[in-house]
Amino acid sequence: MKIVVLMKQVFDTEAKISLDGNKINKQGVSLVMNPYDEYAVELGLRIKEKFKGEVTVVSVGGPEVQDALRQALAMGADKAVLVDPGADEIDEYTTATILAKAIGGLEYNILLGGFKAIDDGSCQVCGRVAEILGVPVVNMVTQAEVEEDKAVVTCDIDGGSAVIEVKLPAMLTAQKGEIEPRYPSMKGIMQAKKKPMQKIGLGDIGLDAAQAAPKVKALSYSLPAARAAGKLVPGEPAEAAKELARLLREEAKVI
Amino acid sequence: MAKGIWVFTEQRDGEIKKVTYELLSAGRKVADSLGEELCAVLLGKGVSGLEGKLGEYGADKVYTVDSEALENYTTDAYTNILADLAKEHQPTAILLACSASGRDVAAQVAQRLGTGLMTDCTDMALEDGQLVFTRPVYAGKAIVKAACPEARPVMATIRPNVLAADAPQAGRAAQAVPVGGNTGDIRQVIKDIVKQISTRPELTEADIIVSGGRGIKGPENFALLEELADVLGAAVGASRAAVDAGWKSHSFQVGQTGKTVSPVLYIACGISGAIQHLAGMSSSKCIVAVNKDPEANIFKVADYGIVGDLFDVVPLLKEELKKLLA
Amino acid sequence: MSELMVFDEVREAIVMSGGEEIQKCMQCGVCAGSCPWGRMEEKSEFNVRSMFHMGRLGYDGYESDDFLFACTTCNQCAVRCPRGIKIPEVVRSMRSVIAETGGIPKNLKAVIGSINSQGNPWSQERSERAAWMKDMEVPEYTPDKEYLLFVCCTSAYDGRSQKVAKSVVELLKAAGVSFGVIGVEEQCCGESVRKIGAEEEFTKLAEYNIDLYNKKGVKKIITTSPHCYYTFKNEYPEFGGEFEVYHYTQLLDELLAQGKLKLSKPVNGKVVYHEPCYLGRHSKAFDAPRNLMGAVPELQLVEFDGNKDNSLCCSGGGARIWMETKAGQRFSDVKVKEAAEKEAQVIATACPYCIVMLEDSLKNLNKDDVMTVKDISEILKESL
Repeated sequence: MKIVVLMKQVFDTEAKISLDGNKINKQGVSLVMNPYDEYAVELGLRIKEKFKGEVTVVSVGGPEVQDALRQALAMGADKAVLVDPGADEIDEYTTATILAKAIGGLEYNILLGGFKAIDDGSCQVCGRVAEILGVPVVNMVTQAEVEEDKAVVTCDIDGGSAVIEVKLPAMLTAQKGEIEPRYPSMKGIMQAKKKPMQKIGLGDIGLDAAQAAPKVKALSYSLPAARAAGKLVPGEPAEAAKELARLLREEAKVI
Repeated sequence: MAKGIWVFTEQRDGEIKKVTYELLSAGRKVADSLGEELCAVLLGKGVSGLEGKLGEYGADKVYTVDSEALENYTTDAYTNILADLAKEHQPTAILLACSASGRDVAAQVAQRLGTGLMTDCTDMALEDGQLVFTRPVYAGKAIVKAACPEARPVMATIRPNVLAADAPQAGRAAQAVPVGGNTGDIRQVIKDIVKQISTRPELTEADIIVSGGRGIKGPENFALLEELADVLGAAVGASRAAVDAGWKSHSFQVGQTGKTVSPVLYIACGISGAIQHLAGMSSSKCIVAVNKDPEANIFKVADYGIVGDLFDVVPLLKEELKKLLA
Repeated sequence: MSELMVFDEVREAIVMSGGEEIQKCMQCGVCAGSCPWGRMEEKSEFNVRSMFHMGRLGYDGYESDDFLFACTTCNQCAVRCPRGIKIPEVVRSMRSVIAETGGIPKNLKAVIGSINSQGNPWSQERSERAAWMKDMEVPEYTPDKEYLLFVCCTSAYDGRSQKVAKSVVELLKAAGVSFGVIGVEEQCCGESVRKIGAEEEFTKLAEYNIDLYNKKGVKKIITTSPHCYYTFKNEYPEFGGEFEVYHYTQLLDELLAQGKLKLSKPVNGKVVYHEPCYLGRHSKAFDAPRNLMGAVPELQLVEFDGNKDNSLCCSGGGARIWMETKAGQRFSDVKVKEAAEKEAQVIATACPYCIVMLEDSLKNLNKDDVMTVKDISEILKESL
């Protein structure tokens, strides 16, 4: 079984976001493997353990992404491919175009990824890749029973969950489910150092920048208004509760 | 000539979701400014007849595909039909709800049409003739305004409850356009569908969390918080003290030694605010604290606080919110 | 053949990360026999001897929250090790091999993220670091001051622990000490960050702080926490940070002897002293806290059965303060139970982490109506 996992490196959840001109400042934040992709890697490793086979992790980004790829290798993946997009301004179309082209050159029975990335939360790259490659996609998978030629998965849908069967090859995107991603083992870390990590550019997969040019353009970034000083809502319980409900709706606009 | 602002109708079991009306109301204004028509796309089984409703909220035209094969959402069927319709009519924009199915179909269709897609948007505006979408990124810690300058249609998924739905205009009709629609080969075969009995979201995924601490006094009293949570569609959380007391399992624990959360609204009831708890929730957008002790640390991070007995305040708050959300 | 390769590489990696002493281990098991985890009501899988064995042979299976990251680095094993191995150092180096590859526990990832973004482990705003002193007069550090008072992140941000910082300030003022604080420019000392294995982050913190102190002309530092004390004193010199470092109890003890600190008001009640590992076993500062409390009129000081080198840890060291420990395995619960048996009204300690852990246990065991946890500084302040 050839398994390919699409992986993204993201800012960690505690990152304090600041702006550098009209861009997000990337200084002073920890970079981690997208947590949903950790689930995808774990799922991939479990499939590999069941069938034997090979897990390849593919990502788009600069050299810093090697850290996250190495984590996947240390967890037990076999190979990593990192494509440098050669540009800062990319969108999901760019990323999907690159990933699909890179994956298109590999053998695969199943494609996996996190259903969303915690940074931009756009939930579309895996779907786009599946569309380009012409394989069916099932999103928000919480459990997967994979057989030789099909997968039966449980996934979240609006208002509940569904059990869906797809023929392989297929793309499954992982939602947090019952499986916990493993930590790399010490031995895994040592072995990972010898595993192949292919670093390539667009030219190596036969793409030029124009073909992968973004469709969406970020016009401006801003930070949400700083937190105002907290206020105590006075009055008897009935009065205070009523006023609080009003404030939540009209002032905080959170309900 | 690309033309038309399209709204993809979010319906479940023949019931149109409120977000569709929100999208139609906002889409109406954009369509008027651009001098284009507002169209709804309505897919499902037994949905013919719902066009009138969509017309009342502003749709000029409704493309309806009513088919047995569309009873349940499947990626392939919905993608094939929506993409075919869009290819045929070349709309300017397609707006969808940011729901599981909305997100799912939007990504596939955007790729098939070779266009851009902005997801999880909280606002939409026409700026210099260009549709500009606002979306929170980095868990709401930054906001980006984005547009799709050239490719058409512009596609976006928009969160429910962020745009206002206008009042329906009784009797305003939309032109119903029944379409055959070819679902194509549906590769996702549905074996089973389980409707959730509880609609409470998972803690780390929830937009609203109602959390209880030692002040709850006993496991039975969590029912109070659950009732409040259900009014808000919120998840229920607990402090370490409440978990340690055995009132809730560890999976409910919010805090540095449990789950780190950053919902839009966090309501802390009877939680004193130990540093480990604060570290796990203080990035929430809005924090409400209800506690008897005016010196409790939780008030230091709270946007709104009520010093009082949660057993008095929480039921009253639930009733007030129920009225507001009705 | 390949197994042998693995054997060497894992051991070498541990050695390279500063754990060379793993090679001295003769697997006698005194460490595991001394380890508090083995003394808890509920069994734990953690066994430091077997972890060393696996580490040296390159075996898998101990890289988890409940094993590699279980050690609180309390040093109980190390003071008994017949080979004198600095066991917490080896544990730290083993963790750092894992941490480099992103394999640290989820809860600790958030801590590292917060350190990088905010300069403190508690996910609190960097700009709020000085908020603890907003309703009191605290001198700013200037080069004419003799001491820098470094307030631990926990005491800077945690409402409970802020009282400790304030008490220390009042005591230093009462004793006429020339001191000041820096405030928002400061970052975490990095002690527990290094124990996570996050060597890169620790190095950044240490270099930043050393540079800051040198620029400000700092020569002597007083800390509120034994963890900051330990790392300033023992680890910052590796990075060129040479300061004279005191835990506040040590300085106050000297001032007491010199007659500059006067403790005159009686403080009634039975007080049992919980020894912070990083003040006691790691730093051998056994006398200062006892001298200080002994000088408080009418205070009845009692000892835990295990004290000084044999004191039981609170379980908050080694980054465990940010991880969950199951009921039945919490060392602090054992401490509170023993304190209750001894009918103490106060558990005194001198570490912000110990206070967090002990107070949690007090609440969980429903003892908070008969006993309180106090920092020594809070007791001394009452006696001024």
